[in-house]
Amino acid sequence: MMTWIKLALRNLFRNRRRSLFTILAIGLGFAAVNTLGGFTAYIFTSLKDSYIYAQGNGHLSVFKTGFLQEGKLDPTRYLIDEEEMGVIQQVLARHPEIVVVAPQLHISGLLSNGKVSTIFIAAGRVPSAVRRINEHARGMIGKIQLFDGKSLEDDVIHGIGLSRGLAEQLNLDLGSDAVAMAPTVSGQINALDAQVFQLFDGPVEALEDKLMSVSLKFAQSLYDTGSVDRLTLLLTNDDTTETVRAQLAGELAAEGLKLEVKTWNELSTFYTKVKQMFDVIFLFTFLIVFTIVVMSVINTVSMAIMERTREIGTLRALGFKRRGIVGLFAAESMLLGILGSLLGMVLTLITWSGVAFFKPTWIPPQITRRVPLEVYLVPDYMLYSILLLIVLSLAAASLPARTAARMQIVGALGHT
Amino acid sequence: MSRIGPPLLVELRQVGKVYHLGESRITALKTVNLSIHRGEFVAVWGPSGSGKSTLCNLIGLLDVCSSGTVRFEGQDVAALSDDQRSELRNRGIGFVFQSFNLIPVLSALENVMLPLQISGVSTAQARRAARKRLAEVGLDDHAAHRPAKLSGGQQQRVAIARALVTDPALVIADEPTANLDSENALRITELMRRLNSNNGTTFVFSTHDQRLLERVERQIQMRDGEIIDDRSPEQPAMRLDRSVGL
Repeated sequence: MMTWIKLALRNLFRNRRRSLFTILAIGLGFAAVNTLGGFTAYIFTSLKDSYIYAQGNGHLSVFKTGFLQEGKLDPTRYLIDEEEMGVIQQVLARHPEIVVVAPQLHISGLLSNGKVSTIFIAAGRVPSAVRRINEHARGMIGKIQLFDGKSLEDDVIHGIGLSRGLAEQLNLDLGSDAVAMAPTVSGQINALDAQVFQLFDGPVEALEDKLMSVSLKFAQSLYDTGSVDRLTLLLTNDDTTETVRAQLAGELAAEGLKLEVKTWNELSTFYTKVKQMFDVIFLFTFLIVFTIVVMSVINTVSMAIMERTREIGTLRALGFKRRGIVGLFAAESMLLGILGSLLGMVLTLITWSGVAFFKPTWIPPQITRRVPLEVYLVPDYMLYSILLLIVLSLAAASLPARTAARMQIVGALGHT
Repeated sequence: MSRIGPPLLVELRQVGKVYHLGESRITALKTVNLSIHRGEFVAVWGPSGSGKSTLCNLIGLLDVCSSGTVRFEGQDVAALSDDQRSELRNRGIGFVFQSFNLIPVLSALENVMLPLQISGVSTAQARRAARKRLAEVGLDDHAAHRPAKLSGGQQQRVAIARALVTDPALVIADEPTANLDSENALRITELMRRLNSNNGTTFVFSTHDQRLLERVERQIQMRDGEIIDDRSPEQPAMRLDRSVGL
């Protein structure tokens, strides 16, 4: 076996320039795919961490069954009251992997500056619980402040945050006073004084002039209720999300509660859409790169066969079987794949080191501040790329190699 | 007619070979009958296009005939699969080509080892056998040289060592001296003659070289795809026994 691999390796370097360009094509293809893969892995992780930690949404959310479908039409029907909360808290307490429980009440109504009013929608959350979720973030995500101004506090009820579009519409700025109005759960109109503590960017254009951030107490006071519409849960480990969801769903049902538990990726439509988009981009890039690789290998092997036709005839005359000829060229293309992949790994490491060293920054969608651009090293992608490139190289060589093996010996020996 | 002598190695009966080039048919060999016995030293000669290379290719199992029967060691080669013919060539036939046909990326020693390694012999064993054959052709001190570093005569000696390394029953040489100068042609001729005498290896070669023909015990002359003369200058009486149908 070693003899044939040695022969294949020596044959590979007979036309050094051609082999070098093929190895370069494979290496650059490998590096392009793995760098893009590393960048998309960074994007996915950032979006995930942003949703779970920076925006304080946690890994799991517990709702009354049907809230997500019917909740907007009849919100009071799907509220979780204090008694139910007590039972839920007991169930959650049995799970040490749940590190933060943050109740929320989402509200909507009118916000007025004293002269004009406009519609708002707001998430009423416990600011200290949200901060605890933020603190669990890894890397830069936990350090990014997504607003200007000061933090909301649990007990400073009147402090609110406004999306910049909403603030502009009502001509409000940090420190300005406003009045929030909304119907209570019993249908009475209620109003609360508020002061603008913070300004932030809305996650989507359509909500830029409507979003408000308030404390849970503010939301409950405005709706005149002690209930919440969801509980967000932060887990110690991302990987246990599905397991904990299944356990909680079972345990809550056993308590006679009609609740559903949703994971973060089921609720983050933005993450899902971005992931789908990058997956398509990655697929196209992957197809283009690997088409180039396959064509390069086919060209290299075909040229080698043409140049070495007489040699193929000689080997056949000496007793080499047809499958031996196929095996020889397969070994050569496999070596091209291996050497190309090794070069690709080196190029990927250089790119990764360069990005880590120079620390370029960029402004991703939905964030107003520059953040470091990163490229992750994804060992799984690298391993799959190596295997795929070797298989592709072998497949690309198989057709010309089979043609070579089927040559008439006499014709091959007479080839000039 | 019964005869006592060396056993039959190759037998061609009513053998014809037709090539198809597009719509035209080219008859390279007409009905040829020939017998070659073990230990013979046979030259096939004639003008270009006379069919001598085609005859050598059929004897060497590099090609299959269009009609008739080719038997090698009593076996009808048409009944063999491509793999079986490859195995038979590997173990039973050595080849020496006009252009030497050494593998350029292998050293002289590795080239000689090649037929043994194709048959699955261990590297150490193949190396020992190859060194012995290289010493026989006087090139043991050039074992590490690649073909490009060897002269034409040296390359052809390596090719002869490669042809003999499996101890084949038959060596087919296609104009082995055509690309060599007089001195090297003479050395190669003497070498083949010596290996034939010492080892009893059967040699069949095509040639135009008159110097080579002078050292051959049996000459087969061809013209237009037919054997027109098959004579053994020193033993003319045996010629008729050996040649079938001539």
